[in-house]
Amino acid sequence: MSSCDPIIEVKNLYVNFYTYAGVVKAIDGVSFRICRGETYCLVGETGCGKSVTAKSLTRLIRSPGRIEKGSVIYYRDGKPVDLLKLGEEELREIRGAEISYIFQDPSSSLDPLYTIGYQVAETMKEHGRVASIKEGIRRAVDILRTVLMPDPETRVKNYPHELSGGMKQRGVIGISLSNKPRLVIADEPTTALDATVQDQIMDLLKKLKAEEDLTVLLITHNMGLVADMCDRVAVMYAGRIVEEADVFELFANPKHPYTQALLRAVPNPMKRMDKLESIPGTVPNLIFPPSGCRFHPRCPFAMDICSRERPPDLEVAPGHRVACWLYTEHGGR
Amino acid sequence: MSIAAEELGEVYEKKVLDKLSDAVIGGFVKIAETLRPGWYRRNKSRVDEWRLMAYAFNRSPPGIIGMLLVLGFVLVALVGPYVAPFRYDTPLQFFDQNSYLAPPGTVISVPNSTLAQNFGIKPGNYTLLLGGDDYGRDLWSRILYGARTSFVVAILVMMVGPWIGIAIGLIAGYYGGKIDELLMRITDVFLAFPGLILAIAFSAVLPPRISAFLESHATIRSLLLTLFALEEQHAGAMAYLVSVVVALWLVWWPGYARLVRGSVLSARENLYVEAARALGVPTRWIMIRHILPNILGPVLVYLTLDFGGVILTEAGLSFLGVGAVPPIADWGRIVYDGANFFPNAWWLVFFPGLATLLAVLGFNLIGDTLRDVLDPKTRRSLEFKLKKREEVVEGE
Repeated sequence: MSSCDPIIEVKNLYVNFYTYAGVVKAIDGVSFRICRGETYCLVGETGCGKSVTAKSLTRLIRSPGRIEKGSVIYYRDGKPVDLLKLGEEELREIRGAEISYIFQDPSSSLDPLYTIGYQVAETMKEHGRVASIKEGIRRAVDILRTVLMPDPETRVKNYPHELSGGMKQRGVIGISLSNKPRLVIADEPTTALDATVQDQIMDLLKKLKAEEDLTVLLITHNMGLVADMCDRVAVMYAGRIVEEADVFELFANPKHPYTQALLRAVPNPMKRMDKLESIPGTVPNLIFPPSGCRFHPRCPFAMDICSRERPPDLEVAPGHRVACWLYTEHGGR
Repeated sequence: MSIAAEELGEVYEKKVLDKLSDAVIGGFVKIAETLRPGWYRRNKSRVDEWRLMAYAFNRSPPGIIGMLLVLGFVLVALVGPYVAPFRYDTPLQFFDQNSYLAPPGTVISVPNSTLAQNFGIKPGNYTLLLGGDDYGRDLWSRILYGARTSFVVAILVMMVGPWIGIAIGLIAGYYGGKIDELLMRITDVFLAFPGLILAIAFSAVLPPRISAFLESHATIRSLLLTLFALEEQHAGAMAYLVSVVVALWLVWWPGYARLVRGSVLSARENLYVEAARALGVPTRWIMIRHILPNILGPVLVYLTLDFGGVILTEAGLSFLGVGAVPPIADWGRIVYDGANFFPNAWWLVFFPGLATLLAVLGFNLIGDTLRDVLDPKTRRSLEFKLKKREEVVEGE
């Protein structure tokens, strides 16, 4: 990744959730940049803030959540705009038409009361691509064909409950791509599907990405998917990005202790092992997050400074960023 | 076959009513199919659901009783004024003194006179089925006209009142935060007053304004006169009836606002609402197309139950003397006027009261049954039993 033509740039994002139990500091200073045409992955365990980050990009966070500070610069035809400062109506025009989402659970992200064709048509009509829902439904047949929906002429008229999980997710992808977005945010698109269908959907995403010149932000906790799909990866832990690197670099040379532990915890069918390795301890409570580095209570290499100060972002190799004291003069590595 | 059916436990057997509803739905499908070929194929699953809903309804005796009562009420409201032996304001006392507070079944005779011709009554003997009131007006005719009054008031109220509440509930529930707080506190204020008291206050203040409005708008006036089946010269009295309608608009929404807001709070958390937002669907569209239809079940039940409530409240207002005024035939008003002669002329109180009771009961029974019918689980279990039955029949 020598030259990067950025499509979206997140700088210093902070998101809090004001709950009765206290303020949950869900996103704590996240910055990253996605280049045009690449597949960028956000990985991390459940509750580390991947989805919140994705939703913050187009300000989909609703009460009790609030975006505290930071900026999301979207390069719209080369002109930078801050999505967090844009008016609601302008943002609505960007949502779906330029930045689009594919959600986790296809069976609940489709409205049970409308046919799949109607739902494809609806977003197209709202973005002025078609004059009427009727015309949109005709166009939906072609769109469903491009997402490899079997027998699209019939499926267009089907309600979500008449479709299988895989077909529903194809439908969701169709809806998401119907307005020819530049950036697609796929939030765990295959978590709710079984392994075979998962594979088909991923192949479809790859194919569509090549055909439609898309940039993809893929959110997942599946390391296999990361290796399969991504160009660059960011590892998130407790609301922060702890490491970011090229996918080959990350798998070959993980720097952050969390990344290392995470990769060790992925079972390798080629190796014999007695017991699957796990990371000791539990995910921290983000109402009272650990001081300093948020990983230090579970980190095997924790030092004094780790609990006192937040580690800086270090560039250990070109394009390889890690937030860990180990690679400063304190760690001596 | 019956042995096999017993072995299988609960099996749903189609009864006469089911065949009737099959025939009705089949007829509808045929019409739709002729108008738009291919309609049935496209809407097959929908029609199947209708059929199951009809079966679920047929299995509930209270529902059937309610349906019969409501059908009877609607039928009377529609054709009553045309089949009534006399007009609502015909003072039979002019022709036969016996009609004054006549007990049910009194026979009166109308002589051939110009007066009778002016009133459009053919000379001859008439039986006053339910008796007469203090002007010698035929109670049976007045009850038939009264059904029309109640029905039209209920429809007019239902066409506006609940929808104000639904709109407020949608906005409050969807936006949340300060808007929610403001709208719901206003709702609370309205709920804090008993609706009837507020309606009394409104219907006491409104008539002069309504009357002036009706005078200057001839089309609306004549439309309402036709709806209420009233004569031109009673437009002034009708203003009071219209005031009741407007008063009920103003007090009939808070319940709906609360109900809808509650449902919206859970419906808006659905992933498809978030998905729609993420794909740039405007808020207004999300509220109307994705949230409202998904919460319509409980609202529909409430609407039906409430139909009876409106009829009762309207009769109550008239009974308290702030609603309909003479000579308009209104069940509540007939009871109010008849109360002066109670208990000697008990029929003046009993029959309009009974009519109100039956109409309100009918809507309540239907509403209760609808709650079950609109529950998909009821339908699924029915479908299951029907399938079993088919297996039994095929296994013959």
